[in-house]
Amino acid sequence: MDLRISVLDYVRGVKGGSISAEEFVAASMERIRATDDHLHAFLSLMDGVQEQARSIDKKVRLGQDAGMLPGVPVSIKDNMCIKGTRTTCGSKMLQEYVSPYDATVAARLRDQGAILVGKTNMDEFAMGQSTEFSAFGPSRNPWSADYVPGGSSGGSAVSVGAFQCMASLGSDTGGSVRNPASFCGVVGFKPTYGLVSRYGLISYANSIEQIGPLARTVQDCALMLDVIAGADSHDDTTLSGHRQDCLSGIDAGVEGKKIGIVREMTGEGVDPRVLAATQQAVSKLEGLGASCQEVSLDMVQYSVAAYYTITAAEAGSNLARYDNIRYGYDLPLEGYEHNAYVTKARGMFGPEVKRRMIIGGFIPSAGHAGRYFLKALKVKARLAQEVNDAFKEYDILVSPTVPVLPFRMGEKIDDPVALFLVDANTVTANLTGIPAVSVPVAVKDGLPVGLQMMARPLGDAEVLAAAHALEGVTDMPEAPA
Amino acid sequence: MGLVSEDEIRWMADLMKIEIVDHKEYVEKVLDMIDYFAILDDAQSDVEISTIEIPLERLREDKHVPYDDHLIRWLKGYRDGHIRAPKMV
Repeated sequence: MDLRISVLDYVRGVKGGSISAEEFVAASMERIRATDDHLHAFLSLMDGVQEQARSIDKKVRLGQDAGMLPGVPVSIKDNMCIKGTRTTCGSKMLQEYVSPYDATVAARLRDQGAILVGKTNMDEFAMGQSTEFSAFGPSRNPWSADYVPGGSSGGSAVSVGAFQCMASLGSDTGGSVRNPASFCGVVGFKPTYGLVSRYGLISYANSIEQIGPLARTVQDCALMLDVIAGADSHDDTTLSGHRQDCLSGIDAGVEGKKIGIVREMTGEGVDPRVLAATQQAVSKLEGLGASCQEVSLDMVQYSVAAYYTITAAEAGSNLARYDNIRYGYDLPLEGYEHNAYVTKARGMFGPEVKRRMIIGGFIPSAGHAGRYFLKALKVKARLAQEVNDAFKEYDILVSPTVPVLPFRMGEKIDDPVALFLVDANTVTANLTGIPAVSVPVAVKDGLPVGLQMMARPLGDAEVLAAAHALEGVTDMPEAPA
Repeated sequence: MGLVSEDEIRWMADLMKIEIVDHKEYVEKVLDMIDYFAILDDAQSDVEISTIEIPLERLREDKHVPYDDHLIRWLKGYRDGHIRAPKMV
């Protein structure tokens, strides 16, 4: 059984009867069992997947509608709820939490025949860029086990890159889909804010986070997006009337497109190997008929500070609910006064979450809000203006997804500011709500490099088409794991 | 000299009900992170921040809305329609 085929080929094979979903899913589960002790992409596996796959095969045999993703094995980051299963958010605080309902994205995938095989590892409460902040231990990069897979959706990227499943869902607050996609050599997409429902996603920073797909090809990402996108009455931030069909226009190409290379994302701090890969990718885009020029977005240099200021304030508010009374684990009440009880319970949070909670309390507090939070909001507003102005002249903006190659386990974990700067190129899309994709473009010293492509709001189909065109002229090897 | 003092961080941790057990792990790194945010002082951003004001009459009436009993039952301290919590004093 070839686990390396694309979702689109697999769907054609299952619908045409040449591929058995039951056999393929069995092979996928065997692959997970054989590799996950080493890679640690998964925090839990679902029961009943073989029965679901058998049901898909039966539907096909009977000529019934088996959906857009019949029998496609998909993993989901462990901060999205699946009814009746554990959703830990990578935290000991929620290690026994069983969700009473489905996230909208999980329900939509299942409605279209996808088989949810397991929940993937992540930095605790999605706070991190390496999966090293998972309370259950880090995931490992399928290209080289000594290196981080990126984060916070690291487990999702590993599961796709290591052929444990065909696609995955991650959440992207400051690059948490695109960063691990780049580090693991897969495609990762952050949709326009509001295109995908966040109902059932455990909140980190509500105003900027989005759920997005990871897959091995751009077309597969587009198909996943088509399934999960659309208005949702459970999430008032979803956009009405904007359900997109990204797959049908995927061959639009980039001929005649104007592409801006963001100067502030390709200068100081960018690894020369990453820069070289970016320049090669830009040359390929020019070869496809695009015209590429440098463009300046002055506010990018302040975007990381603005991003962490805003997200810390929102996270401080969101995490205040974890008092072990409404959410938490099994700690007996007896013998504790209220404050002592909550303090004891919050001891279950890991160090990075605690740090961001403290900052999240500090940033918006009286006497400091003007210095930090209001300035961050002004930078965000100004950055949005600059991006809007750039899109009056350019169709697509590009940069390296991450300024550096995947780094070694433990290399940056004690330096929070160094970790901040890993997000330097990705946070702009979150602060401005625009769609952005990371597409693998090169391998340098045995490690993959991704190119980030961004488009104007609701330009999701356009940027995926551009990424698909670039992918078509890029010869990427597969992960050795 | 950092932008905020170590005592301010400890005070905020206390307010957030977070126990600081390792000085280096929490205080020094939090100070490093906040110090980095000082770069915002250099940003020349004179734009007005748009805010949305919601008039009082658009808010829902201030009346008791019963919780969904089905969901409350999922809380581990549920007993006879009430939730057990630690004593306040």
